[in-house]
Amino acid sequence: MFRYVLKTLWRHRTRTLLTVTGAAVAMFVFCFVGSVQQGLDRLTTGEDADRSLIVFQENRFCPASSRLPVDYANRIMEIEGVAEVVPIQVWTNNCRASLDIVVFNGADPNQIQTNRPITLVDGTWSDFEARRDAALVGRNVAQRRGIKIGDQFSIGEISVKVVGIFQSDVPSEENLIYTSLEFLQFTRGLDATGLVTKHEVLLAGDADPDRVASEIDEALRAGPVATTTRRKGAFQASTLSDLVDLIGFAHWLGYACVGLVLALVATTTVMSVQDRIKEYAVLQTIGVRPLRAMRLVLTESTLLCLLGGLIGTGLALLALGLGGFAIGAEGVTIAFRPSVGLLVSGAIVSLIVGIVSGIAPAIQAATVPIVRELNQP
Amino acid sequence: MALVALNAVTKTFTKGEETITPLDHVDLDIQAGDFVSLMGPSGTGKSTLLNLVSGIDQPDAGTIAVDGVEVTSLSRSQLADWRAANLGYIFQTHNLIPVLTTYENVELPTLLLRLSASERRQRVELALEAVGLTDRASHYPRQLSGGQEQRVGIARAIVAHPKVVVADEPTGSLDKKTSDQIQILLQRLNRELDITLLMVTHDTEVAGIATRRLVLEDGKIVDGLANPV
Ligand SMILES: Nc1ncnc2c1ncn2[C@@H]1O[C@H](COP(=O)(O)OP(=O)(O)OP(=O)(O)O)[C@@H](O)[C@H]1O
Ligand SMILES: [Mg+2]
Repeated sequence: MFRYVLKTLWRHRTRTLLTVTGAAVAMFVFCFVGSVQQGLDRLTTGEDADRSLIVFQENRFCPASSRLPVDYANRIMEIEGVAEVVPIQVWTNNCRASLDIVVFNGADPNQIQTNRPITLVDGTWSDFEARRDAALVGRNVAQRRGIKIGDQFSIGEISVKVVGIFQSDVPSEENLIYTSLEFLQFTRGLDATGLVTKHEVLLAGDADPDRVASEIDEALRAGPVATTTRRKGAFQASTLSDLVDLIGFAHWLGYACVGLVLALVATTTVMSVQDRIKEYAVLQTIGVRPLRAMRLVLTESTLLCLLGGLIGTGLALLALGLGGFAIGAEGVTIAFRPSVGLLVSGAIVSLIVGIVSGIAPAIQAATVPIVRELNQP
Repeated sequence: MALVALNAVTKTFTKGEETITPLDHVDLDIQAGDFVSLMGPSGTGKSTLLNLVSGIDQPDAGTIAVDGVEVTSLSRSQLADWRAANLGYIFQTHNLIPVLTTYENVELPTLLLRLSASERRQRVELALEAVGLTDRASHYPRQLSGGQEQRVGIARAIVAHPKVVVADEPTGSLDKKTSDQIQILLQRLNRELDITLLMVTHDTEVAGIATRRLVLEDGKIVDGLANPV
């Protein structure tokens, strides 16, 4: 009987193709929106976001305007619960919300190697330490900008030699370019000798992040520049607050796409069943049970939806994997990465929508008034 | 015991104010192996009677039993199962599934029964052979003539080895020559395969091939060769 469903879909291949295409486009958007959402979630939750603190200049947001003395690091180290302090100079080509943001983080090469959750996929750490203008480029930026090892990469006042490409379990890391701290401090226009944008604090074992944060701000109040210290997740969320609203809105777009697929597949299936309603009367006269007739219709709608959904999801994951898309503002970026979670949710949503969209026409097919339909010419 | 037994079967329809009673306390016994033809003026309720025997319509009163099974007391789902195993239906307009080939159309009823693949293939081949369409097995309905389509319809109705086959004007939409072929085929099915047939027709000649001729008039069945229509 499965062959009957397949042959029916094939017979109306134009309609099938249009419906599958529509479902694919909608599921493509659904997955894209989903990946943005996932990127944001991973930015504000997880080990990296909860177990490290960001010390920033009070009331400043753009990395260009936060200027803290490097030697604050020593004072912070003295506070109980602090395991490590990484002074970081940040440079970004664009402080506002942008889809092609390039963010440089300058830090001590040893600290980068030991403390950042990154692994080199190309290049070596020794090359990074050997050259003053050496840079390690996150996989996402490299993909987006077509950067390869050995390239000289220039943007604004900065020009670096690419000696490594890295990947990370923390997707936002993959949007960064790491250089040595000194190199970035001496960038023309930054005038940052002795200064850094922020200190990233790694917490010891069971230290309470909020207590440590307030103790840091307290201790540095006497210094030349007052600070605001927050968990990294909270810091990133507040830096991106405008974008967070926007992404929350895009979330609805994702639901709208699901609604769209539902409406599309339901319409096609209703049309298909109504076109062939007499066929269902004949099938039941031959001895097909009402429930079986129902199953035939559900199979039809589910096939349409799953096919379209999987194509759309697959294309979205491919685009996300190859495109290295990211959106960012003020030196913080959200990476759009493909993930197994997206694939699974795309498939499950397609499956459920396929079944749901077939319910009404399935009932129609199962309860067809047999005699009346057989009397139709 | 009769294979098909109608007992005081009544069916009424209401159209607005008007009530018509095409079947009014109809009693009828059909024996296994009978070939029964049913004639009568248009609109007297011949199709309605077939639909009741097939269980795709329900009487307002009375009972219908086929081979001891009271079909009037089965649910829609049970009726479907019962039809799959016990009843073949030959339509006037064939009603083949257009996306399926001759073979697949004939195979359809066997998919509803518990049969092994080889048994299934054997039955389909036998049915196709019986109607002389073995060489058209992979053709689609649109590639067949009206008479061939009707033969596929007949093969589909007999493939599951049903106890009763009903036919509603099986030659009604065919030309004389094709109609003759179908008549011969139905007669052979009855004689050689011992299939019990209940056939509605408007054509006295077609009715003539039956072993027992009935006429439906004014809600009642009259036996024998009463007033030709
Ligand atoms: N669903 C229905 N609602 C109302 N009246 C109906 C319905 N079905 C059938 N009838 C009426 O019942 C009567 C018997 O119909 P039926 O189709 O059984 O006649 P028939 O003897 O097969 O006629 P024909 O020879 O033209 O096929 C007709 O008068 C018809 O109009
Ligand atoms: Mg009729």
